[in-house]
Amino acid sequence: MVDRRRTLLGDTLAIVMAGGQGERLYPLTRDRGKPAVPFGGIYRVIDFTLSNCLNSGLRKIYVLTQYKSGSLERHVRIGWGPLFNHELDEWIQCVPPQLRVGERWYEGTADAVYQNVYLLEQERPRYVVVLSGDHIYKMDFARLIARHEANGAIATAAAVEVPLAAASAFGVIAVDEEWRITAFQEKPKAPSPVPGRPGTALVNMGVYVFDTETLVRALTADARRDTRHDFGHDILPALVDTKKLYAYPFIDENKKETAYWRDIGTLDSYYDASMDLVAVEPVFNLYDKNWPIRTMAQQLPPAKTVFAQEEPGGRLGIVLDSLVSGGAIVSGGRVERCILGPEVRVNSYAKVVDSVLMDGVDIGRHAHVTKAIIDKDVRIPASFVVGEDPEEDKRRFTVTPAGVVVIPRGAQLD
Amino acid sequence: MPKILIIEDEKNLRLLYQQDFERDGFEVVTAATAAEGLAMVQDEAPDLVVMDIRLPGMDGLEAMSRLLDKNPKIPVILNSAYSSYKDSFMSWSADAYVVKSADTGELRTRVRELLASRANS
Repeated sequence: MVDRRRTLLGDTLAIVMAGGQGERLYPLTRDRGKPAVPFGGIYRVIDFTLSNCLNSGLRKIYVLTQYKSGSLERHVRIGWGPLFNHELDEWIQCVPPQLRVGERWYEGTADAVYQNVYLLEQERPRYVVVLSGDHIYKMDFARLIARHEANGAIATAAAVEVPLAAASAFGVIAVDEEWRITAFQEKPKAPSPVPGRPGTALVNMGVYVFDTETLVRALTADARRDTRHDFGHDILPALVDTKKLYAYPFIDENKKETAYWRDIGTLDSYYDASMDLVAVEPVFNLYDKNWPIRTMAQQLPPAKTVFAQEEPGGRLGIVLDSLVSGGAIVSGGRVERCILGPEVRVNSYAKVVDSVLMDGVDIGRHAHVTKAIIDKDVRIPASFVVGEDPEEDKRRFTVTPAGVVVIPRGAQLD
Repeated sequence: MPKILIIEDEKNLRLLYQQDFERDGFEVVTAATAAEGLAMVQDEAPDLVVMDIRLPGMDGLEAMSRLLDKNPKIPVILNSAYSSYKDSFMSWSADAYVVKSADTGELRTRVRELLASRANS
């Protein structure tokens, strides 16, 4: 067996937190956990974090699951498992709660790792990278780990720089001139600015590197305290006094002017991040061959548009400013600024605008859909209207504060 | 009077600890297995637990993590003839790790310290 431990990355274990229930994404999370929610047509939310791992060279990955983890487990096993070679000491594996410590579910992110300390015991890596499975961003963890080592840090938290006013909604990290962490502030009214850059503050991304011994000692101590057992709230703040805790500036592999990092926390943030993809110059680029985003491949025929009757009243299959997945057919309908998942069908005279249609959605003739998220396999009947009458939509569906209509999987609209 | 639970499968050690701790002014209850000990944690509500590691059936490390899951505030001292378990991550949850010795001095000192710090917290 190849000794991958000789390298920094080979001696690093990644733990992806994928147990989030995603209450605020309901009904998209009715039958699946937050990391398994489809995103960008062919992907699931967790694919972005896993692509970051793969592109960074992290090849020992545990995905900690909890709620409704069936579809996530299948996705990781079939879509990601074959990319890791056990003979080279590489793996990706979903770990459901084992109830080894007690007969209870995870009570916070730190508790989830604490209950799986035996995995660290078996592997005894030099470093552990702790990641969230529900963020959309591109990041090279190899650079993060190298900086962690160069700093002589015991723990390092990645942080994205945002305008001071926007930071109040997040967990903020205060640092000194050398980026040593001095405090963690939770949704602060007055966030500490970055030294030398008074207009910005550092938002905690929930991306951490730990020396394994530091992590285990911190987790075992925290497990005996009355805390929320949360990395950002409890574990890292307890290490600030060591003065060996550093922040790491998020270097965006997306290579756009503004650093792109999104927490898919609510239906509106899910919708906004989806719409980020369809812009002419998308702020998040899926097409960079140097940073490929992978997912579970499906064998599907090419997407297709049919009917080119451009005369008034004719059938015209047309798609503008949209992402179209394999197997989708736009047959005489009109699609603008949409994400069409695999095998979606839009029929004649239908009009779909500013919407996300997941796998297998079928839009009937003359139907109108505006600003909606439609979950898998929903059949929109002929002449049905979504997104034009807010009162009628609220009576039948979930409507977000920003006015996005969400139609759950299995909805019967006939 | 603080109550100490000793979980120890060797009968002679149980007797020795019982005598010494009672002489120090503690109430002592003892168990010979982890299962028996965990039941006594519920019934006797001890102020501190001295836990052997190599026990018949469930070992002391697993017993400790079960005990702490329900009673995270009870101080636990791991007490083993072997120092090798100090490397085990599971053992790091303990408040102290005392290697067994014919002299109970160190163990008794740690018990007094932990109960004192608990009384002050």
